[in-house]
Amino acid sequence: MKLRTKMLKPFRKVPVLNAANVLLVENEEHLHSRLADIIVQNEKDVNITVRLARKLPLPVENQDSRPRIDLVVFIVNLMSERSVQSAEQSVRYLDSGFFLGKVCFLVTGARCLSVSSTRLLTVRKMASSLHCPLLFAEDQTSEGVIAAAVRLLGILKVAAGLVPFATGLSLNSVTHCILPSDLEQNLDSPTC
Amino acid sequence: MSLLFNIVISVVLYVCFTSLNMDDVARTLLQRTLRKIPTRKLEETIKKWSHLSRRQQQSLNYTQSKWILLQKLVSFCEDNELTVRHVSELEMIYCMENPNLGTWKACHLTDAEDDATSLDLMCFKEQFKSHLAELTRNVSIKIKKHENETIWIRIAWGENFIKPNHLKPTYVVHDLQTPYVFICNLSSKNKPLLYQTLVLATKHGSIKDAHLSGRNLHAVRDLLMGNYHQTFPTNHQRPLEEMSPPPTHPNIENEHKEHAEKRQQVACEAFGEGKVPKLETATYTLETRFRGGGSIDTLVDGEKPFRTVVQFASTSLLESLHHCVSSGIADAPVSPLLSSITQKGRNYFVITDKADR
Repeated sequence: MKLRTKMLKPFRKVPVLNAANVLLVENEEHLHSRLADIIVQNEKDVNITVRLARKLPLPVENQDSRPRIDLVVFIVNLMSERSVQSAEQSVRYLDSGFFLGKVCFLVTGARCLSVSSTRLLTVRKMASSLHCPLLFAEDQTSEGVIAAAVRLLGILKVAAGLVPFATGLSLNSVTHCILPSDLEQNLDSPTC
Repeated sequence: MSLLFNIVISVVLYVCFTSLNMDDVARTLLQRTLRKIPTRKLEETIKKWSHLSRRQQQSLNYTQSKWILLQKLVSFCEDNELTVRHVSELEMIYCMENPNLGTWKACHLTDAEDDATSLDLMCFKEQFKSHLAELTRNVSIKIKKHENETIWIRIAWGENFIKPNHLKPTYVVHDLQTPYVFICNLSSKNKPLLYQTLVLATKHGSIKDAHLSGRNLHAVRDLLMGNYHQTFPTNHQRPLEEMSPPPTHPNIENEHKEHAEKRQQVACEAFGEGKVPKLETATYTLETRFRGGGSIDTLVDGEKPFRTVVQFASTSLLESLHHCVSSGIADAPVSPLLSSITQKGRNYFVITDKADR
């Protein structure tokens, strides 16, 4: 019962005309405000609202002011184990309706060689099991952040139903993460 | 016969050490000191030192390579017949201007006598010199006043038949009328001598280690004296204009805004805000027993204490801890182990098991 009230539901609120709302979830709070600024400034035709959060569940007291969420983005920083764990735990508070094209993962810090590859595999496995797209972003340069924001904006517009003849589900079915079989084997038996 | 032989040997030794050319010691010290001073600070330091004539100072060209400059300075000092006393003054001037070259340890004077508050510089100087001279021979002391009430003391230690070693001096910094003393580069052998002298000269009952050390003298002093922007815990939320972050786009909203503000406040209460003193390390020596899951059998071994040293290091430790708490990396109610760095003004802690106390 308690879990049910904390769950974030996709269809609890009625959609507003010409509007799109995105929820950025990041435990470290390094990137999400920068992304939010660019997303909001880049789009002039549609009214875009960005909600920032550290983790799910979201505070209950904001429930009334919170608009209908069209896209949930989990930002995972591979440099920190906590970031991966936080994303894993937050995913549980999403209603299953979100996984039909309203969730994506954004990974940063994958370029760094010192990062253990098991974290990346964990995130990959999570994304592929949930049938969500997995995006990679460069957070050190401003160009990288802009590119990531533009990509998210494209997905958001589709997920919010602002693009004719495209739905979030159809986009999701072609972009979702697939774990290659050899990687899966590697993950199952780390010795080989 | 053997007694006579011994005496002869010691006399010979004494002669050997005293016959060491005074200029040699002075020259080595001068060269070492000059080598320590970076070229861009050399001009200013030499000017302050004022043991070179105006003409000599003007003839120095600071754009030349340091090696040539050094040669010239040494020859000038030889012309002026400067002694170790003068050269050690140069070292002292440089050290006073740049007090971040060694590790400073803080000591706490306790049990002040009634007339401790009325102590003046002249009296302290006299007392310090006479008390230390009583305790040990062959020690060279230099006392200077720097910035309003701060006293700087340079001590070069010697022994009965050994001249003071000017290459490894101890520096002591004390503000009159405060119970704190800061000491740099003190060997354990000379520790009791200096402590006793300080206690007597400052008219206090005893002295103890304050368990605080750092490379930045000002930071160590500011932390002990609470001389930084502190925030005191209140039940009230602070006024909005003070807390609110820079305005963002109206369409961006943070779900955990209140939480973030609270964390920020907790961090400020624990570690101060704005410019906090720059501490480099905090060390915790744990002498506790291991408790927890039985999977690690080797650690649960019997009743033996589990000894470990945990050290946090950063260029500015308090700032790092502040950031950890305000960004949510560390848990929001700050552990008293961390917050007591500022509250007690210490950065060395020994944690013992409750049962052992």
